[in-house]
Amino acid sequence: MNSTVASEYSSEVHSTPIEHRFNPYSDNGGTVLGIAGEDFAVLAGDTRQVVGYSINSRYEPKIFNVGDDIVMTANGFAADGAALIDKFKNQLKWYKFDHNGKKLSIKSAARYIQHLLYGKRFFPYYVSTLIAGLDEEGKGAVYSYDPVGSYEKEQCRAGGAAASLIMPFLDNQVNFKNQYVPGTDGKEKRPLRYLSLDEVLQLVKDAFSSATERHIQVGDGLEIFIVTKEGVRVEYYPLKRD
Amino acid sequence: MNSIAQKYTHTNNNRILNEITSARDGLASTHQLELAPSIQLPPISQPTDFLRAHTDDATNPDCKIKIAHGTTTLAFRFQGGIIVAVDSRATQGNWIASQTVKKVIEINPFLLGTMAGGAADCQYWETWLGTQCRLHELREKERISVAAASKILGNLVYEYKGMGLSMGTMVCGYTKKEGPTIYYVDSDGTRLKGDLFCVGSGQTFAYGVLDSEYKWDLTIEEALYLGKRSILAATHRDAYSGGSVNLFHVAEEGWVFHGNHNVGDIFYDIKEKEKSFNNVDG
Amino acid sequence: MNHDPFKWGRPNDATYGAYNHHIAQATPYAYEEQHASSTSTTTSSFPKMNTQNPIITGTSVISLKFKDGVILAADNLGSYGSLARFTNIERLIRVGKETIVGISGDISDLQQIERILEELETTQEVYDNFDGGDDLKAPHVHEYLSRVMYNRRSNMNPLWNAIVVGGFDKDGKTPFLKYVDLLGVTYGSSTIATGFGAHLAVPLLRQLIPEDKDYVNITEEQARECILNAMTVLFYRDARSLDKFSLVTVKNDGEFKFEKELRCEGQRWKFAKDIRGYGSAQQ
Repeated sequence: MNSTVASEYSSEVHSTPIEHRFNPYSDNGGTVLGIAGEDFAVLAGDTRQVVGYSINSRYEPKIFNVGDDIVMTANGFAADGAALIDKFKNQLKWYKFDHNGKKLSIKSAARYIQHLLYGKRFFPYYVSTLIAGLDEEGKGAVYSYDPVGSYEKEQCRAGGAAASLIMPFLDNQVNFKNQYVPGTDGKEKRPLRYLSLDEVLQLVKDAFSSATERHIQVGDGLEIFIVTKEGVRVEYYPLKRD
Repeated sequence: MNSIAQKYTHTNNNRILNEITSARDGLASTHQLELAPSIQLPPISQPTDFLRAHTDDATNPDCKIKIAHGTTTLAFRFQGGIIVAVDSRATQGNWIASQTVKKVIEINPFLLGTMAGGAADCQYWETWLGTQCRLHELREKERISVAAASKILGNLVYEYKGMGLSMGTMVCGYTKKEGPTIYYVDSDGTRLKGDLFCVGSGQTFAYGVLDSEYKWDLTIEEALYLGKRSILAATHRDAYSGGSVNLFHVAEEGWVFHGNHNVGDIFYDIKEKEKSFNNVDG
Repeated sequence: MNHDPFKWGRPNDATYGAYNHHIAQATPYAYEEQHASSTSTTTSSFPKMNTQNPIITGTSVISLKFKDGVILAADNLGSYGSLARFTNIERLIRVGKETIVGISGDISDLQQIERILEELETTQEVYDNFDGGDDLKAPHVHEYLSRVMYNRRSNMNPLWNAIVVGGFDKDGKTPFLKYVDLLGVTYGSSTIATGFGAHLAVPLLRQLIPEDKDYVNITEEQARECILNAMTVLFYRDARSLDKFSLVTVKNDGEFKFEKELRCEGQRWKFAKDIRGYGSAQQ
């Protein structure tokens, strides 16, 4: 095609006219992951935001403490993600006004987010959503969603660009998938157990540094939100910036 | 049917929108749809084309938004009630999004719905159906019949016909009046009463096993095994099915869960016991 | 719904018509579109969308944070395709006391944003300032604009722009710099450039400020020099740029410096003659 590359927004003269059809979606990369422990839950994400091959920002947080000890992220198209989280925060505020400041359980929050996502079933949010917190028994909980709101409570889940790199690692290291007790000839599965917070944090760091090595949209920084009965705290670790 | 659908979907989408809107307005005052949400549409003249362009990963593997899909489910009636068996895999394109999906939705202690097609569509509308059934109970002081419950769902999806919902579901339940009953409801608006259904991309494989072994006089034990065995066959041959088998038995006292059976485990047990699956070594 | 086991549950062509690849492949950014195949299909087969394509356009806005403020620059050109149509377009807009908004992309939409911002300012003054409310600060302006942009994209009727908002945080001290575009995508960084500048100027800016937090070591002079250099380099290679530009420096001591009609100084075009296909040298 005889055209020259100029600024992104200029219209060009072409041998064939270009129809400027508007696509309301784009992909801003990044990856997120949540793991539930016995009395804690973590939600982690890298801090890079991209579009195409350009890095927009090396520190643009995408995980938020939305209140009531629930942390949330919606990874994919950044504008949809931000809109979804804002909407949920706003609704949580109204819930408190209407119910005398009552705490929203993560179970109810999860169902509510399904409604938010399904409310745009025919014009979906292009995001994979995760929330993490503690359930009514004080146990760690992670809920994950598809773009239109089907959801599931899980022990661990990776979402976003490098989900396919991280998820198999998590299956193996958190749920001990395909691990067997040595000397049993593959007959006896390695028994499941809860991981400690230190073990989980180490897994998260390994998952992200490995994803950074193999995925162009992942890197720069790792932000980990940790929910315990004491509340929410945040840790930051640098990742490779290449 | 397709020509009618085409008339209403492809060129005259605005008519659908108008119809839905007016249907909503009309029904909003009745009890049934009060809890139904309003769903936003893309503000263009062909919202269905838009939705499909961005979400149909089967036609265009490069499309951005990949919606989770579910796959093999079956339910059949026999002398001891109903057996419901499903797999647990959800796929987004070639990516296995989950191996632990709950494809049997517990509408209430007497009603089960199965999930095949769009995971969110089934999950969302069947939970919604649960609230409708509860409202029916409160109003009528008796449990809803399977026929009525399935019809609520059928009417609902028919309202959205041509908009891109995808669900193939079996509403299974037991009432005094009806006995064990299965209704098949799909997003085309089809609603059928029957004794035996398999639904989803692995349906053919499940039918193969189920039809050859099915008898009305099966004991509960035999029936549960047959359900499990049929899903296992589907997980073996259909790439979009897998994970584990969830088994349910529905009888007069309501449904009973009969366990989650990991395909990786039961496959070799069954192979050894039946001396079947001889295409596989070991 | 398709009942073929291989495509079970998927949309059926007989019901929905053929799959429309043009919608899926439409790109929000013009430069990507040039790489996409543009087959000849009649316009009537596309869904009608209430949008336009940019006509008169402005190229990059570039910006930096420094120790005590922010600095933004944008040239004065309004291009009509490849024609340098207007050379006196002001693309930096002052909002309130200490906020500056730089806009690239469609100029008519720029003017619409200008009107929106003016209204925002008026409303703010009328309703909030009388009883001692907050001043309009950069985060407020950015939040407001991002809602406007996202709302317009959700109505399939975007404002075809990329916007940089510079100023100070709500504390009035910490420099603030954030971006929002026609899709409603937002991000903050110590170095932001829109359009072609995102490819050409950002590396230059990041050379000065490698990590976001490093802006605290940068003086106004360093920042200014870097921006001026970047404007010159953009003029060398961005065919839609002009060597006449505006530059705004906002500092947290209250100083707001709006310089207009600056020129790219110290252009060294000698390099051009040695580059085959760029300068006069043919073959």
